[in-house]
Amino acid sequence: MNATLKKHGGLVYLPLLIAAIFLPKFVNNYYITMSCLALIYMIVAFGLNFITGMTGQMNLGTAGIFCLGAYTSALLTTRTGCSPWLAMIAVIAMGVLIGFGLGYPSLRLKGVYLSLTTIAFGEIVRQLANNMTNFTGGAQGVRNIPVYNLFGFELNTKVRLYYFLLACTVLFGFISYRIIKSKWGRVFMAVRDNIDAVDACGISSAQIKILAFTLAAVFGCIAGGLYAHYSGYINPSSFTLGLSVNFVVMVMVGGSGTLMGPILGAVIVSMLPEFLRFLGNYYQITFYTIVLLCTIFVPGGICNLRIFHRDSLRRPSGN
Amino acid sequence: MLKINGISTFYGKVQALNNVSLEVNEEEIVSIIGANGAGKSSLMRSIMGIVHPQRGTISFKGEDITRTKTNNIVQKGIVYVPEGREVFTDLTVEENLEMGAFSKKFTVHKLHALFEEMYATFPRLKERRHQPAGTLSGGEQQMLAIARGMMSEPELIMFDEPSLGLAPVIVDEMFDVISSINQKKKIPVILVEQNAFAALNISSRCYVLENGVVMTSGNSRELAESPEIKKAYLGG
Repeated sequence: MNATLKKHGGLVYLPLLIAAIFLPKFVNNYYITMSCLALIYMIVAFGLNFITGMTGQMNLGTAGIFCLGAYTSALLTTRTGCSPWLAMIAVIAMGVLIGFGLGYPSLRLKGVYLSLTTIAFGEIVRQLANNMTNFTGGAQGVRNIPVYNLFGFELNTKVRLYYFLLACTVLFGFISYRIIKSKWGRVFMAVRDNIDAVDACGISSAQIKILAFTLAAVFGCIAGGLYAHYSGYINPSSFTLGLSVNFVVMVMVGGSGTLMGPILGAVIVSMLPEFLRFLGNYYQITFYTIVLLCTIFVPGGICNLRIFHRDSLRRPSGN
Repeated sequence: MLKINGISTFYGKVQALNNVSLEVNEEEIVSIIGANGAGKSSLMRSIMGIVHPQRGTISFKGEDITRTKTNNIVQKGIVYVPEGREVFTDLTVEENLEMGAFSKKFTVHKLHALFEEMYATFPRLKERRHQPAGTLSGGEQQMLAIARGMMSEPELIMFDEPSLGLAPVIVDEMFDVISSINQKKKIPVILVEQNAFAALNISSRCYVLENGVVMTSGNSRELAESPEIKKAYLGG
């Protein structure tokens, strides 16, 4: 029974993947650029899903995590000339460092205090990037970040980059899916559900929160690294609190605790504003009105609508 | 097996327990009765390391656990079934049981054997194994909380007001389950209750708490006969 469920669960993603593979055949460069960003954001949302979606700890500092990942990779490759692949290891290490370094003190806090700490973290990172001019290039940012090189095959066109990012997203999506369905995934949701009962079960809720946060930080940093090499140029003004909020919107509007949620959320949050551009000055307000309506009418997230039912959090009941 | 030696517990400046001593021996059921605010739950929380007493010591199987963290205490074999059916409402019944076994490194085979054992004790849970725990009735949730506690194969289990808010017929069923756990598993049980009559009925010894102090303690049957207890807790 378990195997059939897994098959059905995976089947939902197949049409999406096929659509993603053939997308560049049908759309112009502009939409490919947008799709690349959506894929990068998707990886961040996969990570944020663990801590905010499943464990229920509000993290509004994701832009800071994303920023540190991007700068780590960008500065290493431009200053030392090391390969972006090697820099990836440093980026992962940075993720782990943020996870423990920020998670250990801040996850003892609850609710609004935790949100405030994470906001502060995000802003501190951005201000440092802005003001440590000698090290980070300040508001000028970092230029000429090299592209990824796959065995001598330069990822220098948008379409090539798109397929590379798609492959990365599929990989992290798969990892994320396995974590959601594992013992870890269940204990994450248990923390959100009833933290006292988690402690009563002999599980250290603090350790679980740090674990979820570290996962989020590692995913966020890796996405940041990808972003740096994808865009070739980064500056501090991209990593604002508004971006952090958007990541939370992706997870919550898409549907937390699932894989489909962050996928849909990232696509909607990065694409929908583009499709609303014909509304001129009203497109932002329309977008956030849609977000508002979603939270009121589909509180479980869009992926819990009937059409995506197979991937919903709950398994079908036994009888 | 469990020895509490003169503990005093505070929440900030408010004293909840004052010089409380208590002992639990192998294979016995010990009940703790008292009115609201007498310190029953504080005593449980002190044993579990959720709050640490400022004075006194707690030892389990000869080992001092006064300052041990909650999750390590569970790993040492003490399980606490908290009051008010603290189940994971979003997780299924079976996932709830799995959470109970989280702290132990069981094989899948062993885990399934434990599931079956729990389903044999609580057949209703088997029917509802794939249902979110939030959809269970109050009594079923309490059964689930007990079964979840049993999943880590405890050496001492503590129940905090298991009869709270349940229909009388379910309450009887609950106490039957508790005494059968004690007899079949041969583990000592601490039972905290406001329902003094039922508690005295199934326990061998009883402690009476009042305002954070142990007023009396002794053989349950004798206590049930004593005029003061009758007057204060048994309604005449």
